[in-house]
Amino acid sequence: MSKPLLALGLLLCGLAQAQSSEEQDLALAFGDSALVSIATGSAQPLRRAPAVAAVITAADIEAMGASDLDQVLERVPGLHVGRGSGTYTPLYVARGIYSQFNPQILMLQNGVPMTTLLVGNRGNGWGGLPVQHIARIEVMLSPGSALYGSDAYAGVINIVTKGPRDLHGGEAGLRLGSFGARDAWLQQGGKLGPAEYAAFVQRGRGKGARNLVEADAQSFNDATFGSHASLAPGALNNGHDSWDANLDLALEGWRWRINYKLRELGTGAGISQALDPQGLYRTERLVSDLSWQQAALLPDLSAGFGLSALHYSQQFPRPLQIYPAGVRFPTGVFADGMFGAPETWERQWRLHAYLGYEGLAHHKLRAGLGYEDLDLYRTRELKNFAFAANGLPIPLPTITDHSDIDPFMRPQRRSVAYAYLQDDWQLAPDWTLTLGLRHDRYSDFGNTTNPRLALVWEAAYNLSAKLLYGQAFRAPAFNEQYSISNPVARGNPAIRPETLATREAQLIWQPGRHLQLSLAAFEHRLRDLIRTTPNAQPGTGTTFNNTGDQSGRGLELSGSWDPGAGLHLQLSLSQQRSRDESSGRSPGYAPRRHAYLLADWRVSEAWQLGAQLNRVAGRERPPGDVRPPVADYTNVDLSLRHAPQGARWSVAALLRNATDSDQREPSLAPGRLVNDLPLAPRSLSVELDFRY
Amino acid sequence: MRQWAAWGCGVLPWWPAFGQGLAGDRLAVIYPEIGEPFRAVFAKILEGIDERAQQRVPRIAVAADADALALASELRRRELKVVIALGRAGLRVATALDPAIEVVAGGVISPNEADARAATLLSLAPDPLLLMQRLKSLQPGVKRVTVVYSPRHSAWLMRHAQPAARQLGLELRALEVDELKSALRQYQDFFAQAAPQDALWLPQDPLTVDESAVLPLVLQECWNRNLALFSSNLGHVRRGALFSLYPNNLELGRSLASSALAQLARQAGAPRGAQPLRDVHAALNTRTASHLGLDLSPQVQRSFELLLPER
Repeated sequence: MSKPLLALGLLLCGLAQAQSSEEQDLALAFGDSALVSIATGSAQPLRRAPAVAAVITAADIEAMGASDLDQVLERVPGLHVGRGSGTYTPLYVARGIYSQFNPQILMLQNGVPMTTLLVGNRGNGWGGLPVQHIARIEVMLSPGSALYGSDAYAGVINIVTKGPRDLHGGEAGLRLGSFGARDAWLQQGGKLGPAEYAAFVQRGRGKGARNLVEADAQSFNDATFGSHASLAPGALNNGHDSWDANLDLALEGWRWRINYKLRELGTGAGISQALDPQGLYRTERLVSDLSWQQAALLPDLSAGFGLSALHYSQQFPRPLQIYPAGVRFPTGVFADGMFGAPETWERQWRLHAYLGYEGLAHHKLRAGLGYEDLDLYRTRELKNFAFAANGLPIPLPTITDHSDIDPFMRPQRRSVAYAYLQDDWQLAPDWTLTLGLRHDRYSDFGNTTNPRLALVWEAAYNLSAKLLYGQAFRAPAFNEQYSISNPVARGNPAIRPETLATREAQLIWQPGRHLQLSLAAFEHRLRDLIRTTPNAQPGTGTTFNNTGDQSGRGLELSGSWDPGAGLHLQLSLSQQRSRDESSGRSPGYAPRRHAYLLADWRVSEAWQLGAQLNRVAGRERPPGDVRPPVADYTNVDLSLRHAPQGARWSVAALLRNATDSDQREPSLAPGRLVNDLPLAPRSLSVELDFRY
Repeated sequence: MRQWAAWGCGVLPWWPAFGQGLAGDRLAVIYPEIGEPFRAVFAKILEGIDERAQQRVPRIAVAADADALALASELRRRELKVVIALGRAGLRVATALDPAIEVVAGGVISPNEADARAATLLSLAPDPLLLMQRLKSLQPGVKRVTVVYSPRHSAWLMRHAQPAARQLGLELRALEVDELKSALRQYQDFFAQAAPQDALWLPQDPLTVDESAVLPLVLQECWNRNLALFSSNLGHVRRGALFSLYPNNLELGRSLASSALAQLARQAGAPRGAQPLRDVHAALNTRTASHLGLDLSPQVQRSFELLLPER
């Protein structure tokens, strides 16, 4: 702490005028710096849906000193980024809605779903996302099915990457940090004849914080079956090695984007919540997205289409150690450990087209059609176990290929056809009603229709009020239905889709140029929730079930304030209360109270100082988990950036968890990882950027 | 030491291409080195200059604290004929140059800085004629435009505004004030007498368009009285002004280069003094437009490059 404080003291001595005379002239022409970005083409705003909760720009991300998407998303009111035990995969916990794999949040990159068919989330080998190439993140925390389809259940996160207009020349960067973290990136924008391009590549490696896990699922198995196999207390296996590459080509109304992601990830606290120092995930994702838009096909008619292809594979260069050497079951002892490598290959095609019509006075109509071919075309499993009739694993002498005999899942395929209609209807000069309706036809789950209503009243020049209603439907992911001999989570062919209905009200008030406030209140009802529940037989993992209904309500307050002298403050406060309808108790896991404060201070033209405070509180245990509630925590991050005038380089130092507080995310009930999932201790990183 | 620091900060990005002038003539751009996002404004202007010049014009980045005299002295040795000076920093250096070097300036609002140095200045202030044309196309019923201005910041612009209004058949009430208090009184008088055919124009005048006292008042009163409020500042559109014009940086760069090339070719016609900006984009507040009852056809919307707010 002493070094940052010293740096702060030095900065205070050199306080300079925050805005130069140069910038004053530009501010008189363009307004504030955010509008300069928009006017110079680096942050073209979309016409947003009325329900958008937050838009975070590249400038916001830089001010935060963030290096990964998950650090950024924590600032969104109503959203908390939790962790899953295997690979420490992020769980975007929205408004009290929690589950083991978090398929309830739809993540899009430039409008293309990042969803994997196996689990329904971004993939358990997601491994984060670098932020250097992100132009803007749009977050909506309410049912988005009428706009984005049935997977947009608890929320939608759309990541818009930097395009040709966002990059003025090239940029190279290097980041070195604690725990062996090394990142390097390069991006460039420019022209190729009549076309424009943007290219990005990043390599990142790290050994991970390797926090200590005091007791794990094998500790419980040892106590149950009288063995001594657990590796706990032991370290997390959370190293990573990643590649990201993007190519974006634009020619008139055409856009072609290619995106590649490769991840090699450690197994976190273990796929079955038993420490696994050996297992290695390897996921590879390639997305190609071709789109075309014409704003004036005819005077009142706009049109567009998009065709995307996604290929995703999940492989294990080193099989997962499900339980360690010496694990004993009534069915036998695994002398070398219990291993499995459930590998999948997916191919997803998505085609959509739309027409927009504004020929009717006071109406903006948009109609669209789409078709998706979602094919998990290959599965492969290496393992050294079979199953007894009671679900307990039987040791086999070696790790062999069981793909054709008893794999964890057979290939599965699903198609979805849909149509939607949306109307922005101007009822009166200050009243707009948005009506949306989307019908989806699933090849395996039949039909679903989801409406969305939004009434917006522009009450005063600086005050807007919104009332929103939306419904959503989430078809089970393939593993929730079809996983057949999985020692961690088994599928359930009888499972029903989960549904959600949300009512929401929001006030947005801008009392002055430098102050903006937003207050939202929501109430929702979830039905037929799909969750894993522990199997009756110890040591046999969990099974997906419809676990009943959940209701919730909450308040979210967010605001931004520029008090002057180069200081920018961003605040969000969220409170939610949820109820599991079958038990009448809290469903647990999600924080009931969440506060975030960002102070970004441009001390002088060359120096920028940032501080973030994140308070996560009120995480109760779900029914059936007798442990005391998860301890609240407060995280403090500090950042310092120096960009000398006239120089093409900048340097930044980032101190995360500056107070080195003990922070934990809840483990699954009933608490095999007794002391939950520890988060990283204090870490320091230094970043160097060079523009050319 | 100070001079060394100035060179360190200001001249390091000097491009090796310097000296490969245009057909033996000497042209260079002096522009301010500032951080993002403002840097992008000048980057786009530079792109426009290069496009029109059909080559990469030598450029010198000047830091705010650079020693202008030292830079000017160095530039004298380069035998320049024309300099494109961008921003206040660029103008400061240009002011210290040999009077034989022609200066084409851009990227500032007020011509005051250019007065010290006979220059052709393309201001960042949108041309009043273009502003009032937009107003007439959106609200044909408007007959009278009121603007409160200070002579120090805006007298030069009003000299362009009056004939523009006459050309469009509008009455321009340009109310001159010397202090904020008087400006507030003029705004209050305007609202006391305002009729539906009135519109209010906010110029880029820091004295009469105060962000904390004037802007909330005029935004609220115009909203409540259904009066058209337009501005020369894009930021006001996000706050609730009906529309604004803002610089088209690429086109501005092309215009600056055209003017500089004309001077290199010793062509007449490069006007001295400040010219309002004609290379503009337009922004519309659809929320305010809807409040005023304007029917925004797709064609009207497409005539604006930016629609705000981003709802």
